[in-house]
Amino acid sequence: MLRSERSSLRRFLLLYWLLTLSLLVLAFTVYYRSQERIMLLEQKARMVDYASEQIKRLARLHRYFPELRTYPRDSRFRSAIYDLEYRQIFSTMQSNDVDFRKDIYRRDGVIHYVKILDKYYLGAKYLFIETPDNLHWYRQMMWKLGIAGVMAILLLALVGLYLARLFTRPMRRSIELLDRFIKDTTHELNTPLSTILTNVEGIDASSLDDRQRRKLERIEVAARTVSSLYDDLKFVTLEGKRPAREEEFDFAPLLRERLEYFEGMMRAKGIRLESSIRSAPIHADRRLLARVVDNLLSNAIKYNRRGGTIRVRLLPGKLRIEDTGRGISKVALSEIFERYSRFDESEGGFGLGLDIVRRIVDRYGFDLKIDSEEGKGTWVVLRWGNEVKGK
Amino acid sequence: MGMKGISLVLILLGSNLVSGGSFDRNCVPCHRHEKVSLRKTFMNALLVYSGEKNMKAGLRYFLKHPSRDTSVMGDEFFRTHSIKRPSELSDAELDEALDEYWERYKVIGNLE
Repeated sequence: MLRSERSSLRRFLLLYWLLTLSLLVLAFTVYYRSQERIMLLEQKARMVDYASEQIKRLARLHRYFPELRTYPRDSRFRSAIYDLEYRQIFSTMQSNDVDFRKDIYRRDGVIHYVKILDKYYLGAKYLFIETPDNLHWYRQMMWKLGIAGVMAILLLALVGLYLARLFTRPMRRSIELLDRFIKDTTHELNTPLSTILTNVEGIDASSLDDRQRRKLERIEVAARTVSSLYDDLKFVTLEGKRPAREEEFDFAPLLRERLEYFEGMMRAKGIRLESSIRSAPIHADRRLLARVVDNLLSNAIKYNRRGGTIRVRLLPGKLRIEDTGRGISKVALSEIFERYSRFDESEGGFGLGLDIVRRIVDRYGFDLKIDSEEGKGTWVVLRWGNEVKGK
Repeated sequence: MGMKGISLVLILLGSNLVSGGSFDRNCVPCHRHEKVSLRKTFMNALLVYSGEKNMKAGLRYFLKHPSRDTSVMGDEFFRTHSIKRPSELSDAELDEALDEYWERYKVIGNLE
């Protein structure tokens, strides 16, 4: 799956999940509230009876007060009385965090029922009846919600994946079409390209005059450019079908060889090369690493200004390639690794280069950082081994 | 305890009536004379007014503008008693008497 496709899929799934989870939470909340309401209504019938009994006891106490001073108690419930000004007159309740606006509610593991008295016995306007909330209904409901939740999430996940595939199908088709086209083109490029390069290399340049030599050089540069493009296309279409040949080797000779390969292209554009190359062991597939270097160098040449400079520095665990081109904007930098994206449409190519680089770098766990300043140039730093760990 | 002891109690009671608060000076003697229980009146007022502030406000209004409609006593009471005269006490004295009345007979803090 391509990065762009993956990113679209991720965004869609995120949106889908947020929406469906919100709906799920809403549905569960409504269900929870309705279950709580049902439980409270069941409790209320019982608590209304308790309140009636307690009111009779309060009336008796009112009549005989202060000869009788003991507040009436009952083993089935606890109670409290409050006056019209919400002041507590007496309470045997466990929780005195009371709500005068509701007639029945749950709080701190208890259920409170509020009865407004017609006659204010002992000055009480509000009688609170408290019974413990055994949470049996809650456990039962949570169990049901849990099962329903898991099933709903699984179902929604499947629907989400199906929808995501449905929505990304047009994008996938167009990319597949492009891939197929490139594959076919690549196949057709191989033979004529090999013929051109073999013949160009076979010509004895010393036997030619300056004018002809320059023409030959131009042919060679053009052929090498196409060859580099061919290698990229081959990598994209055939990667995965070819077994990797990973080994420990010195990066320096490979880098020198690739610099030499691009020498003609640099000379044609009047680009000066400043290189500092030290021995740098690396563990990778030579051909894949060559693709990384070729793409980075090719970009540095392609997007450099005429008569510019390319600085290449190789140290153990670190390669830095710097150009003096026009630079890349911040927006373009964020999309630079997307396949088929080119940050400068005036230059040729398919926009495959950095996608390939990213795939190889990710494969080996290397670190690649690209920085740029518009009008000044671009800096690419590749790190591997201990440099990545210690970064 | 002989004559000396009895004299001492009388002196103390007398001094209490003279030097007591507004409630003792202005309410108790009349209620005693009319044989109207202050406790009974208080409990009746509680049944109607419930809260402290509400009850004091209600009683204050009644004492200044007495009528059968605003009285906390039932119709039975008025068969043997007539309606009282409007109070001539100042607002400060009335408030002091009502505060003392509440403190003396209140239910809050007196239940077990």
